[in-house]
Amino acid sequence: MIMGSNMAECHPVAFRWPLKAKTDHGAVLMHVDPRFTRTSAMCDIHSPIRAGSDIAFLGGIINHVINSNRWNTDPFFKEFVVNYTNAATLINPDFKDTEDLKGVFSGLSEDGKSYSNATWSYQRHPAPTPPAAKVGPFTDLLLQRVPGRPKTDPTLKNPLTVFQILKRHYSRYTPEMVERVCGCPREMFLKVANTLLNNSGRDRTSNITYAVGWTQHTVGVQIIRTAGVLQSLLGNIGRPGGGVLALRGHATIQGSTDIATLYHSLPGYLNMPDARKVHDTLKDYILTEAVPISTSYWGNFPKFAVSYFKAQFGAAATEENDYGYNYHPKITGDHSHLPMMVDMTAGRIKGFFVMGQNPAVGGQNARFQRKALSKLDWMVVRDFFETETAAFWRNSPEIQSGELKVSDIKTEVFFLPAATVPEMEGTFTNTQRLIQQHEKAADPPDDARSDSWFTYHLGKHLQQLYGDSKMERDWAIKNLLWNFDPDPQEVANWHIKDEPSAYKILKEINGYTWADKKPLPTYANLKEDGSTACGAWIYTGVIPEEGKNNAARRQGDNWISPTWGFAWPSNRRIMYNRASADPAGKPWSEKKKLIYWDPKADSGIPDAAGNPIRGKWIAPSGEGIDFMPTKAPGSRGKDNGIGFDWLGGNDPFIMRPDGKAWLFAPFGLVDGPLPTHYEPYESPVENPIYKQQSNPVLKTWKVAGNPYHKVADPNYPIIVSTYRLTEHHLSGTMSRWLPWLAELMPELFCEISPELAAERGIKNAEYVTIQTARGEIQARALVTRRMRPFVINEKVIHEIGLPWHWGWQGRARGDVVNNLSALVADPNVSIHEGKVFTCNIRAGKRGGAA
Amino acid sequence: MAKGMFIDTSVCIGCKSCQVACKEWNVLEGEPTHFRQLPGAPYPIAVNFTGNSYDNTAALSATDWRHVFFIEEFSQDRSVARWFFSSDSCKHCNDAGCLNSCPTGAIIRTDMGNVFVQDDVCIGCKSCVPSCPFGVIALSPKTGTVHKCTLCNDRIHNGLGTACAKACPTGSILFGDVPELKAIADARLAKLKALGETKANIYGYDEAGGLNVFYLFLDRPMVYGQPEHPVVPQQRLPLSTAATVLGAAAIGVAALISFRERGSKKSEEEKK
Amino acid sequence: MNPFTHVANWPWYYVGLYFYISSVSAGAYIIGSMAELYGGERQREIGRVAFSLALPLILAAPVLLIADLGRPERFWHLFFYSKDGIPYINLQSPMSVGAWGLTAYGGFALLSFLNIMAINGRLTFAPFAKLYNRLPRKTYAVIGMLTGLFVAGYPGVLLNVTAWPLWEATSPLLGSLFIASGASTGAAAIILVMARQKRVAGETYSHLEKVDRVSMIIELLIIGAVIVVAGQYAAPIMSGFYGVMFWGGTVFLGILFPLGLYWYAGRPGVDRNRLVMLTAVLVLFGGALLRISLMQAG
Ligand SMILES: Nc1nc2c(c(=O)[nH]1)N[C@H]1C(S)=C(S)[C@@H](COP(=O)(O)OP(=O)(O)OC[C@H]3O[C@@H](n4cnc5c(=O)[nH]c(N)nc54)[C@H](O)[C@@H]3O)O[C@H]1N2
Ligand SMILES: Nc1nc2c(c(=O)[nH]1)N[C@H]1C(S)=C(S)[C@@H](COP(=O)(O)OP(=O)(O)OC[C@H]3O[C@@H](n4cnc5c(=O)[nH]c(N)nc54)[C@H](O)[C@@H]3O)O[C@H]1N2
Ligand code: SF4
Ligand code: SF4
Ligand code: SF4
Ligand code: SF4
Ligand code: SF4
Ligand SMILES: [Mo]
Repeated sequence: MIMGSNMAECHPVAFRWPLKAKTDHGAVLMHVDPRFTRTSAMCDIHSPIRAGSDIAFLGGIINHVINSNRWNTDPFFKEFVVNYTNAATLINPDFKDTEDLKGVFSGLSEDGKSYSNATWSYQRHPAPTPPAAKVGPFTDLLLQRVPGRPKTDPTLKNPLTVFQILKRHYSRYTPEMVERVCGCPREMFLKVANTLLNNSGRDRTSNITYAVGWTQHTVGVQIIRTAGVLQSLLGNIGRPGGGVLALRGHATIQGSTDIATLYHSLPGYLNMPDARKVHDTLKDYILTEAVPISTSYWGNFPKFAVSYFKAQFGAAATEENDYGYNYHPKITGDHSHLPMMVDMTAGRIKGFFVMGQNPAVGGQNARFQRKALSKLDWMVVRDFFETETAAFWRNSPEIQSGELKVSDIKTEVFFLPAATVPEMEGTFTNTQRLIQQHEKAADPPDDARSDSWFTYHLGKHLQQLYGDSKMERDWAIKNLLWNFDPDPQEVANWHIKDEPSAYKILKEINGYTWADKKPLPTYANLKEDGSTACGAWIYTGVIPEEGKNNAARRQGDNWISPTWGFAWPSNRRIMYNRASADPAGKPWSEKKKLIYWDPKADSGIPDAAGNPIRGKWIAPSGEGIDFMPTKAPGSRGKDNGIGFDWLGGNDPFIMRPDGKAWLFAPFGLVDGPLPTHYEPYESPVENPIYKQQSNPVLKTWKVAGNPYHKVADPNYPIIVSTYRLTEHHLSGTMSRWLPWLAELMPELFCEISPELAAERGIKNAEYVTIQTARGEIQARALVTRRMRPFVINEKVIHEIGLPWHWGWQGRARGDVVNNLSALVADPNVSIHEGKVFTCNIRAGKRGGAA
Repeated sequence: MAKGMFIDTSVCIGCKSCQVACKEWNVLEGEPTHFRQLPGAPYPIAVNFTGNSYDNTAALSATDWRHVFFIEEFSQDRSVARWFFSSDSCKHCNDAGCLNSCPTGAIIRTDMGNVFVQDDVCIGCKSCVPSCPFGVIALSPKTGTVHKCTLCNDRIHNGLGTACAKACPTGSILFGDVPELKAIADARLAKLKALGETKANIYGYDEAGGLNVFYLFLDRPMVYGQPEHPVVPQQRLPLSTAATVLGAAAIGVAALISFRERGSKKSEEEKK
Repeated sequence: MNPFTHVANWPWYYVGLYFYISSVSAGAYIIGSMAELYGGERQREIGRVAFSLALPLILAAPVLLIADLGRPERFWHLFFYSKDGIPYINLQSPMSVGAWGLTAYGGFALLSFLNIMAINGRLTFAPFAKLYNRLPRKTYAVIGMLTGLFVAGYPGVLLNVTAWPLWEATSPLLGSLFIASGASTGAAAIILVMARQKRVAGETYSHLEKVDRVSMIIELLIIGAVIVVAGQYAAPIMSGFYGVMFWGGTVFLGILFPLGLYWYAGRPGVDRNRLVMLTAVLVLFGGALLRISLMQAG
């Protein structure tokens, strides 16, 4: 099931595989999308859905599954759910659900803007007696704080079990309700639900694939969680052919979250030191971050963190100075893109490096963002063409309309030529977490340089400039370990001799022993005493020994291809794959065999008497085993241990502190433990399920230039969604300048149903104007039955669609769609709601008479 | 052994990679008619929005050797909802109308069965243009000669497949030996028929004397922008010639008679 | 627009016009030859006018044809395969055969023209005249006439063996149609010249008029047949701009109206001379429009 993604259009190469599954193996493909797209065309089933109503749809499937005959009679499902999910766990009796509180959970603050998750917690047995360990300074501290095991009721009867709470929570998500909320005919919904249900079990698995059709919502994280809950209930997690698959966007966008371009995380998903939390010292930081998760593999957090700081500051990082922890930047708030632009508007940000971004087109409320740029002192844009961002000061729509004057813009813009991917060496990490090496094919032309070149030499310049600074705040810059000069043979073929060594950078990411600089083969080798340095623990193993780069492997096979590239962690292609075997360690079915427990195999570890201990997990495909290789099925974990010690033999979800898949999230989310249907922030309808209209804790920025529409605003009665086309890439810099691509999709257009077109007197291929309180754009009309009106709450609701690739530069030109959108975001990850907001539309060009 | 391509439209996702790959490999520019110089722009701007589904390049041309059709088949109530894509190019006909019609020998068939225009021989007489039953070959005003897909002549004669097939992410374009491709096509057709695609058909086994580039369609060829019953135009040559000879004779005789009759009368008059 | 086939983009002012003037030339030549072969001494008059028309007209042909080529400087590739320089003909290609046929016809038109010049005493170069008088005049008039028929007819075959729907659907009739039109326009051209020289009285003229009338009637019949065989594909010439050109220009102004005028002019008391010129001009005009409408429509 592809939902929230237009896989064929946006991930055409990856789409080869589902298509192959369909043509060669008879797989059923389903697409749940507001529009009929090129993906829908290739699927067996296309189910329409109003944008922004996915939780209702998926919640409906959850309800349908829980009450279905099949799910209740096939023992597989209960076996999977009771053993591998937290369905049996008992929740704090003080917890109140949306059913009790009209659409919100217990713990909402007085002002209704944030939750305390205290009542969402597990019921626990008393805490164990801490062991007298002497393992490591920070680990010892964690061992003092191990909580009691969660209480459970494996019969799932107790009304306080997660399962019963879940069942109650979704009981109102009936097919009728789904039809009412999503505008999807109930027969169609049931067809989708039953297809999923019937294709799950011991012998079969179903996969759910999504992308930004799910994320760009004020409930984006919760939509994905709904899929997680559903897949857990169906036994589709940790098993081949199962899972919830995120299709990631930009090339190596996965890599850029792993090696953290995100403001709130350090490489390897360690939380960023935060001035608002108890993060005063390294110890505070580790305790705050690691204690709640120490009974998972995160029990090794201290090793990851210390090795990270060691990698940053090298010799200067010592036990005495907390490995430089206090010189490392800390965040003070939400510094994600949208609030950054708000800060820029307010003059709180003076300078801006733009590398690999074009916010003048891609940024929400792009007018607002362009104006923010005009408040800067300086801006550096590194790109291949003069992007709209680089050109904003001379020919943006605001300049053309006279709203801004070139002479009033004080921003000094430095436009620098960037090298393209084939002009540099490095790695891409794809959506499968597969790290793949790409070689340099040519020197970039003229002064064009790679971003790593720029960043590296900028760093060197700064180190030189601050070299003799006596100020303590400059310690970090002075002591930053910055030694990626290439060996001569690495640059022998090229004119550019001072390109930093991609190998050395990857080696630092991989980790090495500080003393003799030997690469570490696995993260199990990391230490919390400063003897290892490691940029990102999850990547350890990509360079297992000096000179060997697993990312450069190119040997495939017809199954898992373990010798093609390197998948983090530890070359595991399917995470949590312990769940591919039943609680006894046998594969759920021969057909779906991935890893299994062989009680007779030599574990390779001798017992006290020197005889080999028997029993070991086996992966015939060469798949990395995402579990303790010798932990027997059914074995009990140590109550007062951390990490793998605490986890039992039937706890596949090793990154969860209870080893279970979470149907109910006791913490980790700021907007509730269970996904709940809320309307988009701007919606033409009132929430048909709850009194609570939209996500109570979503993020808004009520600042000048960013007005919002009311609920069911009569001036903006139409839903608009924005998306991509195969023919262009994002803000278009990489496609609109190329004649071959420009001619494929020359101009901005708006997809409109014939019904709406008739209502508004719109003719195909002619111009229409689309308006919101933020802006007004014109586009050519593409009237097509692929778009359809929805009946929501007995009201006909129209939805239009805008691909958003155009700007005023390049060979294919059109208005900037993001002039329409607003700064509004999901509370967990601050992603904008570009996938759904409201607007109005009329025939004719912008500026013309109505 | 004749090389060709099998276009399985049932797995085409309409991504147009083939179109772009073709241009890239063959160093073809953007189709000039798609661009216009606009005031203030340093380069020509694309102006070819058609409003016809996602198809803006519309047809094959001297610079578009490949073109993807987009066909929306929707009933009023959307109970029928299908979107077909079909990637089109020169068919490398066994009996090629373009080749037959060429007065200079510019169009040749190579040892691999592909129909190839020798640019240095072509005089731009355009005889081949309307002689292609599929509207493939076209004149470039820039070079004054005609151009069309070469079946990647340079690639296939150097052991590579065609660029479009190479770029196709779904295997909708397969390059290979024609008999092997036919076997694949037959198997695929049988499979689709068994799945209830009753209208599925293979286009190009018999059409216009057989095509080395042939298609699997899920609906009638017409729907995919292809002629239902294409004919090699030169098949009409004997009849057309004969009819013209007859016509010539008839007119000659008629003229002759009108001369003679009167002629003899007049000469009689003259005698008087 | 037919979605399947590309238009040839032969512009009417090159190829259409070429088809036209070559067929007027050929038509005139054919009639001239007939007169030469079967007419009495006085009919030779017709021959003289015809042959002095045929050559200049056909001389314009290569100019138009070459001007239409995308690569005019390579026109010789029509005769020699440029890769090896050996003479080249493609019997399946009316264009190729046409190029050779046109050349042959040009040769005969030249011979006949020189003949007229010699007769008229304008060609006085003695050795030439001597040589010339040895040529079997009648024989080459017959062969020349056959090449003339070829030149008038082959464009129709050329169009008929393309895949362009209108041309495809009108197969196999366009060749005959063009020959009929060639004969009638050829006759009209001769009439026009003679009328200018005020020589339209008498039987000479009535021969021409008769040829013209007969060929126009045949042309009409073929047009009828064309419409029938073309069926739905005749649509482009049944309505719209080219419909008006075809029916109004060719059929009415170029055929029906001249036929009427011939009839009217034959009545006693009518000043023939002026009417005849008008008639001839109309026929010539209609012939041009016939080519243009058939070439451009679709
Ligand atoms: N050709 C091409 N490929 C790309 C990109 C590109 O620009 N061009 N961009 C890359 C990037 S950065 C990304 S992030 C990915 C994005 O990949 P996708 O997420 O697949 O792409 P989108 O087109 O943004 O949106 C996907 C679909 O979501 C649907 N949709 C909108 N709202 C909703 C909703 O509320 N519910 C559901 N179920 N569906 C909804 C839209 O109709 C659209 O069909 O693509 C990557 N790949
Ligand atoms: N309304 C709406 N807005 C959206 C979305 C949506 O679906 N709807 N999608 C959002 C999503 S998912 C994304 S990812 C963003 C994308 O938005 P942006 O990231 O702002 O847009 P891009 O066009 O990807 O910008 C990348 C730039 O980097 C340049 N570039 C490429 N490679 C390199 C390199 O190696 N070095 C340097 N220095 N530059 C390079 C490219 O030329 C391009 O100009 O847009 C978001 N905006
Ligand atoms: S653009 Fe690159 S990453 Fe995206 S589908 Fe194509 S090949 Fe894959
Ligand atoms: S498809 Fe047309 S251009 Fe191609 S070989 Fe056949 S006749 Fe020639
Ligand atoms: S245009 Fe060129 S290839 Fe076509 S028929 Fe004429 S000479 Fe031959
Ligand atoms: S075979 Fe080669 S020339 Fe022909 S369409 Fe494909 S890429 Fe273009
Ligand atoms: S590359 Fe393949 S899938 Fe894409 S449009 Fe061409 S034929 Fe279809
Ligand atoms: Mo993205």
